[in-house]
Amino acid sequence: MDTERKGSWLKRGWWLALLIIASFVAPFLISEFYLAILGEALIMSLLALSFNLLFGYMGQLSFGQAAFYGLGGYTVAMLLTKLHFNFWLSLMAGTGIASFFGLIVGYFCVRLRGIYFAILTLAFGQLLFFIIYKWHDFTGGDDGIQGVFPPELLKSPVAYYYFILIVFIASAFILWRIIHSPFGHTLKAMRENPERTEFLGINIARYQLITFVIAAAFAGLAGALWAPFYRSIAPFALMWVKSGEPVMAAILGGPTTFFGPVLGMFIMTFVHAYVLGFTHFWAVIMGIMILIIIFLLPGGILGFAQEKLKERRARLNSSRTLS
Amino acid sequence: MSFDVLFNQFMSGVARGALLFLVASGLSLTFGVLRVLNFAHGSIYMLGAFITYSIWKFLLIPLVGFYIATILAALVMAGIGIIMEFFLLRRLYARGWPEQLLATYAVLLIITDLVKWGWGGEFLSIPRPKPFTGAIFLFGFPFPSYNFFVIILGLALVVFLWWLVYKTRLGDIIRAAAHDREMVSALGIPIPWLFTWIFVLGALIAGLSGGVAGPYGAIALGMDIEIIVECFAVVVIGGMGSLPGTLLGSFIVGQVYAFGIMYKPELALAFIFMVMAVVLIIRPWGIFGRAER
Repeated sequence: MDTERKGSWLKRGWWLALLIIASFVAPFLISEFYLAILGEALIMSLLALSFNLLFGYMGQLSFGQAAFYGLGGYTVAMLLTKLHFNFWLSLMAGTGIASFFGLIVGYFCVRLRGIYFAILTLAFGQLLFFIIYKWHDFTGGDDGIQGVFPPELLKSPVAYYYFILIVFIASAFILWRIIHSPFGHTLKAMRENPERTEFLGINIARYQLITFVIAAAFAGLAGALWAPFYRSIAPFALMWVKSGEPVMAAILGGPTTFFGPVLGMFIMTFVHAYVLGFTHFWAVIMGIMILIIIFLLPGGILGFAQEKLKERRARLNSSRTLS
Repeated sequence: MSFDVLFNQFMSGVARGALLFLVASGLSLTFGVLRVLNFAHGSIYMLGAFITYSIWKFLLIPLVGFYIATILAALVMAGIGIIMEFFLLRRLYARGWPEQLLATYAVLLIITDLVKWGWGGEFLSIPRPKPFTGAIFLFGFPFPSYNFFVIILGLALVVFLWWLVYKTRLGDIIRAAAHDREMVSALGIPIPWLFTWIFVLGALIAGLSGGVAGPYGAIALGMDIEIIVECFAVVVIGGMGSLPGTLLGSFIVGQVYAFGIMYKPELALAFIFMVMAVVLIIRPWGIFGRAER
C-alpha cells in the first residue's frame, strides 16, 4: 500500500518536476515579451489558487477576490512611491493589509452560504473598489499609481521573473500543504457535510474565517508582486471584472484539482496575449470559452481528465477481477 | 438644509428607484422561479438601450418614434431571452448554481463585446420624447417631467406584476413553482415551458427599461455593470424573488443614492453597498425574503 502510494506520487511528481525545470530555463528560451506574459500568468495563478482555496476546498464562491489582490498591490505601490519604503517590507505589508481586510470582510461573509456568499463578497469588493477609485487625494483615483519600481537587484525582467517564480512555487507549496493537512481535510468535511462536521465539535465559522484570511493573504501577495512587475497599479485591479478572472480560471482548469486553476489561468493569459495581437474583442472569446467548458468539459479540463482516468482505471480493474 | 433641497433629492431618488425597480423586478422574478441569478440581466438592459437608439434613429418618426423603438427593442430582447433560456440555461438546471451563474456571466461578456463591436465606445443619447420634454411643478419646485414618466411606468409595472403574480392562474403556478418545483411538475404543469416564459418576461422588461433609460441618462458601455450591481443590492436588501421586497429595495437604494450624492458624491455607491452589507448580516435573506433550505 505504502509503496504503491509512493509510486503514484512519483508518477504524479515527474511532470511537476519537468514543469518546474522548464519554468527555470524559460528565460533562456523565450523572448522577453513571452517572459513577461509568463510572469503575469504566474502572478494571476497565485490569485487563482487563493480563490480556489475558498471555492474548490471550502465550497464557497467568492466574487470579490480581486479586492484583496488590489489592496496588496496598492499597499506596495503607495509604500514604494510615497514613503520610499523598503521593498521586502512593502511586500509583507501588502500581504498583511490584504489579510487584515480579509479578516474584516470574512467576519461578515462566512455567515452566509452559496449565492449569498457570492453576492456579499462582490458587494464588499465593489465597496473597496469604489473607495479607492473615488479617493483621489489618497490613492490617485482612476489615474492609479505609476512609477512603482522594484529594487536594483530585481530591476531586470529576468531577475523579477525568477523572483515571481520562487514566490509562486513557495506559495503553491504552502497552499498544497494546507490543503493536505488535517486543517484542509476539515475544510473538505465542512463542504461535504457541514452539519455532521459541526456535531464533531468543529467551529465552522472560525475555520472558514481562517481560510478566508489565508486566501486574502495570498491574493494580497499576488497583487503585491504585480504592482512592481507592471510598474503601476490602477483601480481596475480591485473591480469585480478582475474578480471574475480567477472564477473563470478555476472553472476552466477544474476546481476540484489543485493545479486546475493554474492551468486555467495559463490558458487565459496566453490566449489573451495572443488574441490582443489582432482584436480587442477579448471578452467574447472568453465568454465562448466558458460556455464550451461548461457544456463540453464539465468539471474543467483537469477535473474532466481526472474523472475519465478514474473511469478507465475502474474499468481496467473490474475486467482484471473478472478474468 | 432647506426643504426644497431635501424634497428635490427625495424626488430624484424616487425616479431612480423606479428605474431600478423596472430592471430589478425581472431579475427578482427570474431568480424566484428559476433559482438562477442572471448576471446578464444588466446586459440585456444595456443592449435594449442601444437597440432602442438605433431603431429610433432609423425610424425618425416624430412624436411616437421613441415609444415604438422602445417596444420593438423590448421584443428583440425577449427573443434573445428565448435563445438564452432555451439553448443555455435549460441545459444547466440540473447542474450547480455556480455553473449557471458562470454561464450568464459568459453571456454578459459576449454582449459587452457585441455592443462594443456594433456601436463603438461612444456615449449616445436620446432626447426626451414628447410630451415629457418640459418640467412639472410640485409644491412650486420644477422637476423633469420625464422622471414622472419613469415613476408612472414603475408603478404600472408594480400593478401589472402584482396582478400577474397574485391574481392570475399563471401567478398561482409561479408562486407554487417558486415554493416547490417538483410538486408543480407532478400536477402536470410543464415546468420547462413556465421557465422559458418567465425568463422571457424578465428579458422583455429589462429591454423595455433599457429603452426607457435612454432619455433618462446616457447610453454607454458600462451601464450594464452599473445597473446590475445596483440591482443585486436591490434584490438582496428586499429579498430575492419577492415582489414587495424588490419594490422596497428599489426605493431604499434610490433614496440612499440620491441623498448619498448630496452628502458625498464620491461615496454614493459605497453607501448602497454598506446598506446591503448591513441587511445581509442582520437578515441574510433580505427584508421580505424567506430563509433558504
